[in-house]
Amino acid sequence: MKISGNIKYHIVLIAALFISLMPIIFAISTSFKELSEAYSNVLGIIPIKPTLDNYLRAFNGLPLGRIIYNTFIVAAVVTIFKIGTSLLAAYAFVYFKFPGKNILYFLLISTIFIPFTITMIPNYLLVAQMGLRNNIIGVILPQLSDATGIFLIRQAMRLIPTSLIEAAQLEQASHLQILSGIVLPLIRPAVISTSIMFFINAWNEYVWPVLILKDTSNYTLPLALQLFISSEGGTDFSMAMAVAVITMIIPLGLYLVFQRYIINTFTSSGIKG
Amino acid sequence: MKEIILENICKVYGKNEIIKNLNFSIKPGEKIILLGASGCGKSTTLRMVAGLDDISSGNLYMDGQRVNDIVSGKRDISMVFQNYALYPHMTVADNICYGLKIQKLTDLEIKSRLQAVVKMLELYGLEDRKPKDLSGGQRQRVALARAVVKRSGVLLLDEPLSNLDAQLRVHARKELMKIHQAYSQTFIYVTHDQVEAMTLADRVAVLNKGRLEVIDTPQNVYNNPANVFTAKFIGSPGSNIWPAHYQDGYVHIGKQKVKLPEFWNAYIGQKNQREFYLGIRPEHMKIYHEQKNNTFIGIIKYIETYGNQCGVYFMVEGCEGIILCDNFSLKPGQKIYFSLDSKKIHLFSKKNENNIGYPEAYYDNLYKYQSV
Repeated sequence: MKISGNIKYHIVLIAALFISLMPIIFAISTSFKELSEAYSNVLGIIPIKPTLDNYLRAFNGLPLGRIIYNTFIVAAVVTIFKIGTSLLAAYAFVYFKFPGKNILYFLLISTIFIPFTITMIPNYLLVAQMGLRNNIIGVILPQLSDATGIFLIRQAMRLIPTSLIEAAQLEQASHLQILSGIVLPLIRPAVISTSIMFFINAWNEYVWPVLILKDTSNYTLPLALQLFISSEGGTDFSMAMAVAVITMIIPLGLYLVFQRYIINTFTSSGIKG
Repeated sequence: MKEIILENICKVYGKNEIIKNLNFSIKPGEKIILLGASGCGKSTTLRMVAGLDDISSGNLYMDGQRVNDIVSGKRDISMVFQNYALYPHMTVADNICYGLKIQKLTDLEIKSRLQAVVKMLELYGLEDRKPKDLSGGQRQRVALARAVVKRSGVLLLDEPLSNLDAQLRVHARKELMKIHQAYSQTFIYVTHDQVEAMTLADRVAVLNKGRLEVIDTPQNVYNNPANVFTAKFIGSPGSNIWPAHYQDGYVHIGKQKVKLPEFWNAYIGQKNQREFYLGIRPEHMKIYHEQKNNTFIGIIKYIETYGNQCGVYFMVEGCEGIILCDNFSLKPGQKIYFSLDSKKIHLFSKKNENNIGYPEAYYDNLYKYQSV
């Protein structure tokens, strides 16, 4: 691709890139500054006196290990369950014939458009009645299935040529064998990108955990972050940024590990015609 | 080897009747070709036998057992798909052995079967490749290998050669014959290619708009077409079909007439019909430059050349016809005189378009023909 010819577009792109990266650079840089420097040298990218003090204080002042563990468990369990239910439901919607299939699918998909605030209060009452307040199970439970995942995975499954499924049916493969042996390997990129999306959403979830969780030891990372920037928590910028960096570094690391699996397997399929 | 019987098989999609009352039986080990234009229902028929499509009504029997409600995996069949349906994420060996692993065969058995099929279909050295790294011909052989390795009683093939170029097709046809010799499975083979049908089939079933027009040996289908559709459809180009009228030993096309030999007169004399369709193959006619006894007159419209021969399209009494000849000097607009080989003429009833049969004296010593 020729770059020089499109130089004006590249300037726009570089500016957009800078704007979107700026908060992240600011957070990382501030997290290594002393509090006084955070105020005096706000825009300096390289800290004058780099320090790990903020991280040490965060770990000592808060049950941060416990909080990271909570967040990870919530995000991981929610992701695994959502992907599992989405895979099974999408498979049924694509490959099974049953009466009312289209209406059922339409109903499921329309739940995507119901705002969270509508279901928040009924969900809260239900979870409270189950005695799951102040418990991460209460955070996890209402998030275990999701029509978005069914939609995305169904779209990917529909791209698989039907003859592949039929060929497996002729071999007397069960649906579970077809799903795990044929369908899943072929839609792996879609499953991984959907998982990443689910994981990040669950990792960043704020409103619902804040309703359910009361004790600091049960907190998730977004709630811990709030401790430093709320009106009660004061304005310890540099420590807040240290927690922020911890909050974003884990999903980022997971993304780096999994992104190499996100290649389109269909460009290399054995199907012709 | 399985015997398959289709009894009053119908297929309906919504209000469309795709298959109308199919009735025929397939002997164990027989090679049946379902031949027809696209959309005639031949693939649907195959898919119903495979159990991939439901049968709307009628009965399908395999070895005497009604299998309408038996899932495809339990019908002891294997199938080669038109697009090969190879699993893109598996190696050639995994593709071939997928079904065997599901059947939980022993590793030893799987290995020996794999080796046998790899040897037969010349897939040496390709076992660890993925389908994307194979050529079209290799993919086709892998698809064939996967179907054969199962050693099922029936092998279903859905236009398996249509994605190959002409030379590979010839080679692949030989391979199919080799497979049939080795395992003598019952073959049901769907194609729109007449050459494939004629070369591979024990019997050809010609389908038209969901109806079975004829099922017979390739020779009979070609030489003794059972009806107008078969006569026109089989052969490239197909038979000429002209409305004709019989009177006093002469066959009339429009205002022109030629004398029929004596054996026809005796035969038609018994029939109560005088209006027919006359069918004659383009290669069974002869062109003359001047009028002779028993010739028709036509005007050449255009000429196709095939290399060794040319096809002369002409008009006779408002009907189009074609003659195959090796005279390359003819020009469009020219007048031609042509004769018909009276032994190769077919007469079809105007009412139901069926072949009215033949003067038995003539055909008895060729082979027994049954008018459908």
